[in-house]
Amino acid sequence: MRVISKEDFGKFVSSLIQDDSLNVVGVKSKGNKFAFGQLNDASDLRLDYDVTLLPPKKYFFPQRETLVTYDVANGFFAKDPAHLKPTVIIGVHPYDIVALLHMDEIFRETKSDPYYFEKRKSSIIIGVNIQNMSKWCFAPQMGCATIEYGYDLMLTDLGNRYAVNIGSQKGQALLDKYAKNVTDALARDIQLVGQKKQEIVNMSQQKFNFPIELIPEMLNKTYEQSGFWEKHSEKCLACGSCVLVCPTCYCFDVKDSPDLSLKEGERIRTWDGCLLEDFAKIASGENFRPTRPTRYRHRYFKKGKYLFDRFGFVSCVGCGRCSSNCLPDIANPVNLFNDMNQEVLNMGVEIDAPAQPEVNLKTEGDINYTPKLATIVKKTPMTIKETLFEIKLDDGSILNQVPGQFVQVSVFGVGEAPISVSSSPTQKGTFQLCVRKIGSVTTGLHALNVGDKIGIRGPFGHGFDTEFLKGKDLLFVAAGLGIAPLRSLLNYVLDNRADYGQVIVLYGCKEPRELLFGDEMVALEKRDDVEYKSTVDWCPENEVWGGNIGVITTLIPQVNFDPENTYAVVVGPPIVYKFVVSDLKKRNVPDDHIILSLERRMKCGVGKCGHCQINQIYVCKDGPVFNYAKIKGVPEAL
Amino acid sequence: MKPKVAFFDFAGCEGDELQIANLEEELLDLLGQVDVVNFREVMKERSDNYDIAFVEGSCTRLHDEERLKEIRKNAKYVVAIGSCAAIGGINSLKNYQDLDDVRRTVYGDKAKLFDTYAARPIDAVIPVDAYVYGCPMTREEFLQVVKSLLLGKKPDIPNYPVCVECKKNENVCAFERGQFCVGPVTRAGCNSCCVNEGTICWGCRGMVDNPNENSEKEVLIKYGLTVDDAINKFKLYFGWQERKR
Repeated sequence: MRVISKEDFGKFVSSLIQDDSLNVVGVKSKGNKFAFGQLNDASDLRLDYDVTLLPPKKYFFPQRETLVTYDVANGFFAKDPAHLKPTVIIGVHPYDIVALLHMDEIFRETKSDPYYFEKRKSSIIIGVNIQNMSKWCFAPQMGCATIEYGYDLMLTDLGNRYAVNIGSQKGQALLDKYAKNVTDALARDIQLVGQKKQEIVNMSQQKFNFPIELIPEMLNKTYEQSGFWEKHSEKCLACGSCVLVCPTCYCFDVKDSPDLSLKEGERIRTWDGCLLEDFAKIASGENFRPTRPTRYRHRYFKKGKYLFDRFGFVSCVGCGRCSSNCLPDIANPVNLFNDMNQEVLNMGVEIDAPAQPEVNLKTEGDINYTPKLATIVKKTPMTIKETLFEIKLDDGSILNQVPGQFVQVSVFGVGEAPISVSSSPTQKGTFQLCVRKIGSVTTGLHALNVGDKIGIRGPFGHGFDTEFLKGKDLLFVAAGLGIAPLRSLLNYVLDNRADYGQVIVLYGCKEPRELLFGDEMVALEKRDDVEYKSTVDWCPENEVWGGNIGVITTLIPQVNFDPENTYAVVVGPPIVYKFVVSDLKKRNVPDDHIILSLERRMKCGVGKCGHCQINQIYVCKDGPVFNYAKIKGVPEAL
Repeated sequence: MKPKVAFFDFAGCEGDELQIANLEEELLDLLGQVDVVNFREVMKERSDNYDIAFVEGSCTRLHDEERLKEIRKNAKYVVAIGSCAAIGGINSLKNYQDLDDVRRTVYGDKAKLFDTYAARPIDAVIPVDAYVYGCPMTREEFLQVVKSLLLGKKPDIPNYPVCVECKKNENVCAFERGQFCVGPVTRAGCNSCCVNEGTICWGCRGMVDNPNENSEKEVLIKYGLTVDDAINKFKLYFGWQERKR
C-alpha cells in the first residue's frame, strides 16, 4: 500500500488530463446527483459521491455503438477500433468493479464480444472506497462494498491523503509515470484503511431478513406463486429504468441506420431492457413475455437464478440504482426478496442454499457481428407469402451448417433477422432459405431479385443430432412454415436413407394453397421408403384437396410406429407444440424421443442480447433444436 | 423513378412542415430521393398525383373528412406528422369543453358560421400507414421515417416510455428535481429532448401502447400534485387517447 497527499493526487489527475494520449473520465456532480464524465479539471472530481446515475459500464458497453458499417456496393465492414485511446476511469466504487467483473464473464462466455473487450482491455480503473453511501445501497449485504482485486489502483480517503492499493502492473506504471511524492504506507495508514473498510460494511440502511445465499432457491419456490408477481408488479410502468441503470444488465438491441443516400449506413447496438413491452416480440406479432408480471419476474430470475446457475454468482452488486430510479418504488430488491422470504415461510417449505453450480466457462473465439456478403442465385415463389431463396456466399466458402441451424440474414439498410436454413448440408455450394414475408427484413428480402446481395452470419445454434438419430425410426411432424427448418433434416435423411430406419412425414397447413414444397411432397408420396401424409385445416370452396382435413394432430393416429425406436421431430408455430406433444405421448412416445425447434426474437445469435431467452435457456445458442425432455420443465418454452 | 410526395395541413400550427423546410443541407439529400409535388408552405405548384402524403394537423370539422379521404384515395402511403395529426394533439383540449362555448370564444358573434366537432387524429378518419410523433416532430425522426418508407421497412418508432432515453442520457429525473413529468407513460423517440434541457416531458408524442396510467397518476400525486393537477397533466396531449381507452 502507498500513500499520496490530496494535493499531490490532484496534480496526478491533472497530469493524466494533460496527456492527450489518455481519455480521462471521473465522477463529477450533475445537478444534485453524480455522473461519470469527461474530466477537464482535477478539481471537478467528486470522490465523496454516493452513487452515480449510470454505472461505468457505459465506457465498455455504450448506450449506442456502431458494430458494422455497410455500403451496398462493397458489403459489410467491422467497425475499425484502431483509434481507441486508453480510458482512465477515476472513482469507481467497489460494487461497480464487481459488476464489471460479472460483465467480463458474461461477455466472454462461449464467444467473446470484441467491442466490449477492446475497450475493457485498454482501460485503467482507479477505484475509490465508499465515503458516503446512498440510502438505497445494499452492497455490503451482497459482499460487494469492498474489493481486493479487479482494479488497477484503489484509493481510500484518509483525511489529508489517500491510501493507494496497487492492483496491477498497469496501475503501478500509471503511478510511476504521473504521480509524485508517493510514499509507502505506514502501519498506521494500513490499520486506518482496514478500519474504514469495516465502517463501510456497516453503513447500509437496507437490511435483508434472511441469508442471501437462499435467493436462488427462494426464487425457485415462488416462480408460479399465485398473485405474488402480480401484486409486486401492479404499479410497474414498464419504463425500464431499473434495468437501464443496472451495472450488470447487458441486453441489447441491434438496428440499421441508413444514411439519406440509402446506399450506406451503420448497424447500431443500443441498450435494451427485458422490462420493456416489446422485448420478446417477434415479427409475426407474437409476444413471448407480454405481461408486466412476467417481465418483472424475469428480471429477478435473470439476476438471482439464471445467471447464478450459469456463472455461479447472483448478478446483483447492491448498488441500489434500480431502487432509487423506480418512481412507484417497486424495484428495490431488498424489499422484494424480504417479501419473498416471508412468502416462502408462509408456504411452510424448508429451503437450503443451493450448492455452488459447476461453472465451466469456455470461450471459443470472438463474436463476428460482420455479415459475409452473399448473392441470391435463385428465387422461387412458393405461395402468396413464402418464397424459396437460394444463396451463395461470395467468398466461395460453404455454410457448413448442421440441419436445424439458422443464419442471420441482412438486407442492406433494413436490418438483420434469424432465418432457419431449409436445405440439407448434403446440398453443396449453395443453401436455401424458405422465407415468409412478415417483418421488415423478410419483406425487404422478398423485394430483392436474383443477383442481388445480402449479408449472412452464421450458421448459429444447436441443430439436429444426425449421428445420434442414425438407425432410429423417424416421425417428422411439420405444421405450416415448420416444414422450412424440418426439411433440412428430412433431405439429409433422404440423402443418407440407408442410415435411418422407418421414415414417416406428417405435414399440415391451413389450406391447400399454403402448402410449401408441393413438388417435393408429391415425390415423397411416391417413394416406397417414406410414408407421407398431409392435412389442411380447411379447404375453401375454390380450392382442390383430396387429402385429410383437420389439424396436424389428426394425422398422428393414422400412422403406425414403434414408440420405443421412434424419434419424433416436430416443428411448427408456437401454438402446435402442446397439442402435438400431448398426442405423441398418447402414443407412448417417451419425452426424450421428441425433438422440437423453437422460434424467438433474436438479435445477436450468440446468447448475449437476451431477446430469445426462455427462463435459463438461450434459444439461439442452446437451441433452436431442443429435446423435449430437456425443456418440458421450462415454463416459458412451450 | 423517384416517389412523389405531397404535404397537407389541417388544424395545426404548421410547425411540423416548418421542420421540413428547415432541414437545411439534408433537404437537398432528401430531394435527391423524392419529388415534392405539393407543399403549400414552400411552393406554388399543386398536383394530385403523389405516392406519399404527409398530413399535418388534426381533423376538427366534419367537412375536413372529405379532404382527408381524397388524400387517402390518391396516396399509396399516408403519414401523420406531428402530434395533432398523429394523436389529436393539444387541439383535443377543446374536447373537454362545451363545443358551443369554444366556437363563441374563438369566433364571437360569427360562431354560427363555423362548424366544429371534437378534435381527432387523422387515423380516426382514414387509415394511416406511419406516424411521426412530436410537437413539433423532430427532423431526425422525420428523416428516419422517410428513409424507412423508401426502403420498404417499418419505421422504428419505440413503444417504450421516454424514461428509457432519459436513463441512457443520464438525466437527473425530473421528479428528483421537484418537477412533474409524464415521461413514464409517453412514447419515446424524441431522445428525451425536453428533459435533457432541464425541463419535463409534457407528453407530446402521446402514450405508449399500454401505459400504466393509474401508476403514473399515483406517482404524480405521491410527489405532490393534487388529483386535479394530475388529471390535467393527462389532458394536455393525451385527450383523444384517453377517451379512446
